[in-house]
Amino acid sequence: MEVTITKTDDKNMVVLNGRIDTTNADQFMADVQPLMQPDAGDVEIDCSEMSYTSSQGLRVFLMLQKSVMARQKKMVLKNMKPQVKEVFDITGFSNIITIQ
Amino acid sequence: MKKRFDPIKDKSAEIIEYLMSSPDMPDDEGLLFKIRLSIEEAVENVVRYAYQTGNGWMEVSTSLDKQNFDLTIELRDAGTPFNPLDRDDPDITLPAEERNIGGLGIFLCKQLMDSINYRYEDGCNILTMVKSVHIA
Repeated sequence: MEVTITKTDDKNMVVLNGRIDTTNADQFMADVQPLMQPDAGDVEIDCSEMSYTSSQGLRVFLMLQKSVMARQKKMVLKNMKPQVKEVFDITGFSNIITIQ
Repeated sequence: MKKRFDPIKDKSAEIIEYLMSSPDMPDDEGLLFKIRLSIEEAVENVVRYAYQTGNGWMEVSTSLDKQNFDLTIELRDAGTPFNPLDRDDPDITLPAEERNIGGLGIFLCKQLMDSINYRYEDGCNILTMVKSVHIA
């Protein structure tokens, strides 16, 4: 899993590449820490190259969502593969996270 | 096919890959995605929580019923007796502030597989997951 974060004025453009699973969920959590800082702006995540996530990945997305809401910013996940989207749908995460 | 892993500490990835390499697995990307995710969640549950000392063994197997194309995945461990199916499903209608991650893994297994059963037998936790892999 590769996480690329590009920061502009008040927005973080994020690109995820690969799988989030038991082998790298902790690393993924560490990689997104900059997006949870008090002064971090909005978050836009390109998920087009994210091929898989387990519940451990969902846990990180939930923490991101809570962090963004707490500082009254917005997060959007874009271009999600249908199989990955289904995991967000089944777990109700599609209702609490904006997916476009 | 069947294999016993001992010890299992930090072996999740190896156990998952062993199961996914089974000749019983279907040749269908969508099905494999669901099967892999269910296996990962179930294996992680055992590796992380089954043994209080953090270590012990797990035996895993796959079998394919060639009559009706039911794939069965079985996990067996001798850890603390625990039925993961007893746990309440997470409330997936809650807002983000009130959501927590507990129970999400086994809930995914329930949703993605056709059936999932637990029994405690001969001092072992036995979790059995079945998925129809018949491709019309």
